[in-house]
Amino acid sequence: MMHQTILSGTPTALTSRDAHLRLDGLTKRYGDTEAVAALNLDVPKGELVALLGPSGCGKTTTLRMIAGLITPSGGRIVVGRSDITQMPVYRRDMGLVFQSYALFPHMTVARNVAFGLEMRGVSKPEIEQRVREALAMVRLEPLAERRPRELSGGQQQRVALARALVIRPSILLLDEPLSNLDAKLRDEMRNEIRDIQQNLGITAVFVTHDQVEALSMCDKVVVMKGGKLEQVGTPVDVYEHPATPFVASFVGRTNRLEAMGKGDGTAIAGGAVLRIPSRAQGPVEIMMRPHRVRLTDSDGASASGGEGTNRLDGRLSRVTFVGDLLQYHVDVSGTELVVEAASDHGRVFRAVGAPVSLMWRVEDTMVFGRTA
Amino acid sequence: MSVAVSEPIAAIPRPALGRLGAATLLLLPIALVNVVGFILPVLNLLRMSFNEALSGGGIRETFTLANWFGLAGDAFYLELIINSVVVSLTITVLTLILSYPIALYLHRSSGRWRTFLTVLVISPLLTSAVVRTYGWIALLADQGPIVQAITSFGFAPPRLMFNTTGVVIGLVEILMPYMILSLLAGFGRLDPRVEEAAMTLGARPVRVFWRVVLPLTLPGIALGCLLCFVLAVSSFITPKLLGGGRVFLLATEIYDQAIVTLNWPLSATLSILVLVIFGAALAVYARILRAID
Repeated sequence: MMHQTILSGTPTALTSRDAHLRLDGLTKRYGDTEAVAALNLDVPKGELVALLGPSGCGKTTTLRMIAGLITPSGGRIVVGRSDITQMPVYRRDMGLVFQSYALFPHMTVARNVAFGLEMRGVSKPEIEQRVREALAMVRLEPLAERRPRELSGGQQQRVALARALVIRPSILLLDEPLSNLDAKLRDEMRNEIRDIQQNLGITAVFVTHDQVEALSMCDKVVVMKGGKLEQVGTPVDVYEHPATPFVASFVGRTNRLEAMGKGDGTAIAGGAVLRIPSRAQGPVEIMMRPHRVRLTDSDGASASGGEGTNRLDGRLSRVTFVGDLLQYHVDVSGTELVVEAASDHGRVFRAVGAPVSLMWRVEDTMVFGRTA
Repeated sequence: MSVAVSEPIAAIPRPALGRLGAATLLLLPIALVNVVGFILPVLNLLRMSFNEALSGGGIRETFTLANWFGLAGDAFYLELIINSVVVSLTITVLTLILSYPIALYLHRSSGRWRTFLTVLVISPLLTSAVVRTYGWIALLADQGPIVQAITSFGFAPPRLMFNTTGVVIGLVEILMPYMILSLLAGFGRLDPRVEEAAMTLGARPVRVFWRVVLPLTLPGIALGCLLCFVLAVSSFITPKLLGGGRVFLLATEIYDQAIVTLNWPLSATLSILVLVIFGAALAVYARILRAID
């Protein structure tokens, strides 16, 4: 936050480019269905913002409208002080990285990267210079004369990134850029893209359905569902204080429990009284993260939690070993709750069927009103 | 237990033939048909081109290069060959220009509309070229609707039939389905995302076409042009009918020499020459494909 303020307050070359992106009631209708419904969004200069949501939530449609590949049915797209809603794609000056990379198969890597500069009428020596710099940035200089099909997926991805960045776009748009890579490469590229974006101080919009990508890379996460915004916030905000049950369950894993709020900061669920950080009355939904819940033996006297702790008793129904984690599935009067614990703690596995207690802190309890 | 498992494995018969043997066996029928139906007749034709034609349609078995030298020394035949190639190339280029937008549109359409258009493109192939040529005769005749339409605007009545113009018009229309289908087959590399990428990089639609779409469709263009050129050079019925005996092309001349003049050795020589032209066209096609890739 501090960093941002300093940057925007300094009259350097960085501020010469007013790359603040604003979406103003942006809407896309296909027949009767609204793929994107009156979306309002601010992307401050130099920030990387993730559009996160399940497939069909309108995130890619939004990105393609920003790029100019889809004409909005309503609303405005503003970059800096200019309304670009009606501007054709080829004048928008945005770098788009496609999920399928969409490299030109008939051109070498160097020609691919040079394409945008040639379209801008940049002089030959400058093109050469900038292509070399762009390829150096993504560490692909030795492969400049190769054809795209001779490259691995990760290398093609980096060419696509270099090609989008070499034109010094006002805004970088990334459409699920990592989803075609294997897990290890994805981690690597995640950091690489983030580093490059920060070094260039470029405004960027990143579309993804992977919450890990959104949380780990981006300054701000925009969770979308059914063409609408569910929540906009920092990764920590969205994870720790989800605004809706959908956000809570889409971003990170959650346990769900139906309860009755009593209006006095408590609720009844699974035959027990739970303290909740809310004065909600009537049916509520209680959620907690599996790794914030502790598993204890239900007979121990130590199991009584104390003031700041909630407790539920149940029966261990299944234990799943997932490498770094153990997942305990506990049946609490008909509802299955999951507890996650590091698997290297040396504790003896509990027997399936054993009575256990779940304990978690009151502030880790998320409460949502239940719509009947 | 282990015995029961290993038994079926041992029971799998080893192939009696190697991979090569199987391949040979599978290729044998088509090879036989090709030898009997194509290679032997062509060799026979080649042999015939070295015979001597006698007046009245007689043939004397001999070995003379007279037919070949005769062709090379006769201005009529040189012009005939050049004319045939030029007319066929013209037809090929016009067919390409008219077919390309249709193929591109078809490639980009989808669903029922695409099916309907595809049927529309293929449907002319269901009618014989003879019937379609007669259709063109009706349309292009001196008193036909097209000439009347042109004269109604005050232009001098053009001659659209019994000349090269008529042959070109007829053949372009007849060859368009082949060109469109070849182009469509070659449009597979055209990814809409790649065109979008070019646009986001600042390319206007016209430049997207020249720099991305056209280069990526060159294989289809090369294939369509090869096919149409070969079909144009060897087409007989349309030049015969729409040319009205006044347009001299290789195929019609071969027919005249074989059927009217009964000069089989000369006819055979011209046929071999057509094969040589096809060979040259194939060589050019192969070179283009290599240059594209």
